[in-house]
Amino acid sequence: MVNLLKGVLVECDPAMKQFLLHLDETLALGRKFIFHDLDDTHLFISPDIVEVLQAKFDDMMDQISFPLHEKSN
Amino acid sequence: MAEKDTKSLKSILQKPVKLECKDLYEYLKTRSADVLERLYDYPTICLAVYRELPEIARQFVIRILFVEQPVPQAVIASWSSQIYVKEHTAATAILGDLGVWRSAAIPGGLPAWELSATFKRNLKIALLGGGRPWTMVNVLDTDSKARDIAFLDNYAMSRWRCVLHYMVGGATKGPDGETISPDAVRILLNANLMKRDENDGGPVITRQGFQFLLLDTQAQVWHFMLQYLDTCEQRGMSLPECLSMMFQLSFSTLGRDYSSEGLSNTLLSFLQHLREFGLVYQRKRKAGRFYPTRLALNITNKNSVAISDDDTQHDKGHIVVETNYRVYAYTDSSLQVALLGLFTELLYRFPNLVVGVLTRDSVRQALRGGITADQIISYLEQHAHPNMLLHEHSIKSKSPLPPTVVDQIKLWENERNRFTFTEGVAYNQFLSQSDFITLRDYAQSINVLIWQNERNRTMVVTKNGHDDVKKFWKRYQKGGS
Repeated sequence: MVNLLKGVLVECDPAMKQFLLHLDETLALGRKFIFHDLDDTHLFISPDIVEVLQAKFDDMMDQISFPLHEKSN
Repeated sequence: MAEKDTKSLKSILQKPVKLECKDLYEYLKTRSADVLERLYDYPTICLAVYRELPEIARQFVIRILFVEQPVPQAVIASWSSQIYVKEHTAATAILGDLGVWRSAAIPGGLPAWELSATFKRNLKIALLGGGRPWTMVNVLDTDSKARDIAFLDNYAMSRWRCVLHYMVGGATKGPDGETISPDAVRILLNANLMKRDENDGGPVITRQGFQFLLLDTQAQVWHFMLQYLDTCEQRGMSLPECLSMMFQLSFSTLGRDYSSEGLSNTLLSFLQHLREFGLVYQRKRKAGRFYPTRLALNITNKNSVAISDDDTQHDKGHIVVETNYRVYAYTDSSLQVALLGLFTELLYRFPNLVVGVLTRDSVRQALRGGITADQIISYLEQHAHPNMLLHEHSIKSKSPLPPTVVDQIKLWENERNRFTFTEGVAYNQFLSQSDFITLRDYAQSINVLIWQNERNRTMVVTKNGHDDVKKFWKRYQKGGS
């Protein structure tokens, strides 16, 4: 018997993968979304979470970036 | 709802699309033989096609134009030297692609080439005269308010810039308060240069649109006209008629006025569209005469004279980028400013100078709009101020831009692409290793495998490949049991 599962394959660096695992464990997006933890740089996740994930990730990058320029006055 | 979800998912997973820019040959090559035949019914189109052919191909055509029977291929091959066999093959292929000639058999079984009868007839008309009179004729009486070439150039560019400005500025009005008609907007939408915004339905520029803005004017006009022609059949206009009109315009004389009398209703409305984009000038809709502008004349002409007005100076290098991410643009054209505003945060504006700064936010906004880092960089490079080339860093590297700025723009882009998403189907829990290996090798052989691990017997195939793999698996199981 073979098990079939539709989803989205994510390829990223190991640090990003840990971030995704963290989001999954803490239910930060409201639910678990990782189907398979494939290897260090690959995950298989639920297709309907991709958009939320990208937004979440953008938010995080915004938080850790430092504006080089003062806002125009 | 579900449909909308898959749609937005698709937009995330989609790879960026390159803007295709076809020339006349590539455009015609993709038309069906039937359409080509209808096009060749117009002497102007035949002449335009003939003019665009490579030199050798033109030789072939003119040599056999008056030969009333198929000419053996070997004879034609003997006309060119063996050294140029590559050029010869290319020329024969092009003539075949365009349906100008087709292979025929002559008694004795030799393969031969025969010019298409329609093409032959109409090219003769184009070269020797005769046939139906051209739909465009000179006006006999002189225009009391005649326009000179400088005026036409100016008019054409201001109309064309209005279209471009609309693309960057969205719904805002052009510099002179001019706007473009709903029809033109529809063409932009149809051509994928703009798309309806998901929130308010207003047209916004697409990634192809930005690439379009970076082309030179002639390429822009040509690309735009092709898109226009693609939709003209839907509008109830005949493609051959419009195309032949377009070529007639390109054969006309700059600064001369032509009569619009005798044009069919289709062509009159076509003329109104051309007028809107600045390809022809008409004082009034009912004036009965029109002037083709340089935009129309250059449309099929490879070695054309660009419109020389004051604005070309601005086009050639007016942007200075400093290592502190400041951007100075010496321009007063609101189009240039709007373009720059796509990816910089504008700080100050003076009569001949705009100061902006490249920030993470401004660049990310452009990236979100589908513009790539490379496009931003190449735009800045193309328009770099000549003084930028004198800097030490630009002498060492090829780019006139400070390396730190280039790197940072690329980093900002990479930061958004730390994930790659691929839709797929995962297969696991195989009962035996051999089952797994068979299926994996099959998936690999048809290039749909995107991930696999032998140890936990898991593999992921692409969404499109899933059906094939499933079918194979069913067949395999039947055969195995």
